[in-house]
Amino acid sequence: MEEKKTLLSIRDLKKVYTTREGELEALGSVSFDVGRQEFVSIVGPSGCGKTTLMRIIAGLMPQTSGELIVDKDYFDPQKDVGFVFQKALLLDWRRVIDNVLLPIEILKLDKKKYIPRAMELLELVGLKGFEKCYPNELSGGMQQRVSIARALIHDPKLILMDEPFGALDAITREKMNFELLRIWAESKKTVLFVTHEISEAVFLSDRIIVLSARPSKMVGNVEIELPRPRTLEQKLLPEFNRYALDIYNKLEVK
Amino acid sequence: MKKKPMKKRVIGFVKKLIGVAVVLGIWEAVVKIFHIKKYILPSPVLVFQSLFDPAKAAKNDWWLHIGTTSGEILLSFFVTLLAGVLLALLIAWSKPLNKMIMPVIVLLNSIPKIALAPLILLWFGYGLQTNVFVAVLVAFFPVVINTVTGLIEIDDNLLDLVNYLGASKRQVFMKIRIPNALPHLFAGLKTSATMCVTGSIVGEFIASKNGLGRLLRSAQANIDMATMFACLLLLSIIGLIFFKLISLAEHACMPWSDLGGGEE
Ligand SMILES: Nc1ncnc2c1ncn2[C@@H]1O[C@H](COP(=O)(O)OP(=O)(O)OP(=O)(O)O)[C@@H](O)[C@H]1O
Ligand SMILES: [Mg+2]
Repeated sequence: MEEKKTLLSIRDLKKVYTTREGELEALGSVSFDVGRQEFVSIVGPSGCGKTTLMRIIAGLMPQTSGELIVDKDYFDPQKDVGFVFQKALLLDWRRVIDNVLLPIEILKLDKKKYIPRAMELLELVGLKGFEKCYPNELSGGMQQRVSIARALIHDPKLILMDEPFGALDAITREKMNFELLRIWAESKKTVLFVTHEISEAVFLSDRIIVLSARPSKMVGNVEIELPRPRTLEQKLLPEFNRYALDIYNKLEVK
Repeated sequence: MKKKPMKKRVIGFVKKLIGVAVVLGIWEAVVKIFHIKKYILPSPVLVFQSLFDPAKAAKNDWWLHIGTTSGEILLSFFVTLLAGVLLALLIAWSKPLNKMIMPVIVLLNSIPKIALAPLILLWFGYGLQTNVFVAVLVAFFPVVINTVTGLIEIDDNLLDLVNYLGASKRQVFMKIRIPNALPHLFAGLKTSATMCVTGSIVGEFIASKNGLGRLLRSAQANIDMATMFACLLLLSIIGLIFFKLISLAEHACMPWSDLGGGEE
């Protein structure tokens, strides 16, 4: 690979929550870099601080210690981030299309200009014709797909995805994986992707960050050197399975 | 998925009419069969006569009283709505204000407000202003408390949704908090609508020249049962219409809320 410019540098990032029962170390010193246009996944057991890490990167809460360095010339941490949350979090009172356009309103961009793009994104996530619906007329999986369109509407350079496909069925999930890779490749975005699903991580990523159970440590930073574009056939390759096995081993699954 | 079909609605309406007619019929029959004296329970016919018989109706000047009472109810409702929502916004906007004002509101809310009516009569004297003030006093708190709840109690994740994009406090209010508070606001308004009616009538009981509450009192003095029942009937009709208007407004303001539900 050519020299990769770093978009995001995470140095000894640590988060301790103060709760009623005392201190809870949610994220215990994590360090890694994310390059421009890189697809990086984070895997780890439930409760190891993946959401916490994403929220810190998005600027939704401060870290307890450590550093988060971004390339400020290339990237504005407020405007250039799209966040797909673990839950769909649609606003009940807005139609699907207006939910997708929410970031445009918050960033005070010209809403009219973005309507065609919103329609395009809805089509892309398989929701053409649903733009006038209210969220409570959609299934959970459809809602989650709306939230993916919403995270992409303002053309962010960095997309943070926190188990975005958790609510989808296996078939839709597979399709969404391909769509995601297509968007990522076409629009030269950087993706930070959280998942429980190891084979999904291997399939999508350039690199996988492996976190251990709480108090979480980084136990792996695995480069996935499968050729792109990725295909379903690759899932049958011994290399693919070796990567998966390697990660299972790092997670100490026996 | 939206409106019920016309035919179903007509049938529903006819059913309601039949229900009312049956009740009136039983009432009339009971009065006739047991020879109940008209100063104990007037027959529905007498009640309708006091409303529609030209000779009797003129004496009572119904439209004036209906107008006065409806006016008071509407005025007190809009004052409540405006003052309640403004105060709620203020409380939700500023944490220190919230800490200062909310305990006072909760404390004041525990006073039986109707009991303050005689005091308010002394302060404001006879007339509309006293009735409206009594009604507002009674109806105000549910609106404030409900709206504040709707503005403040929000799924934190919904705030994340806009905060990661650097939303301003104003944007958070406009895009998230206020729409989120609408169902709470309407719940409060429905409670306070009933209270506006009660408050206006109590106001009229103690201090008024006109209005159905006033008429009820003077009919009571004359043991004119038919007029008293007519007043009650009119008050419940006003109450029903008023309530219906509020739910129409609710559906207009929250078109997303009447989805997926079958019957009302
Ligand atoms: N706001 C909070 N206050 C206190 N503790 C918290 C808070 N948010 C998360 N935690 C705790 O921090 C730990 C990590 O939580 P986090 O949500 O980051 O896990 P996760 O890796 O995303 O898990 P999952 O895969 O189940 O979503 C958990 O033990 C959780 O209980
Ligand atoms: Mg999580």
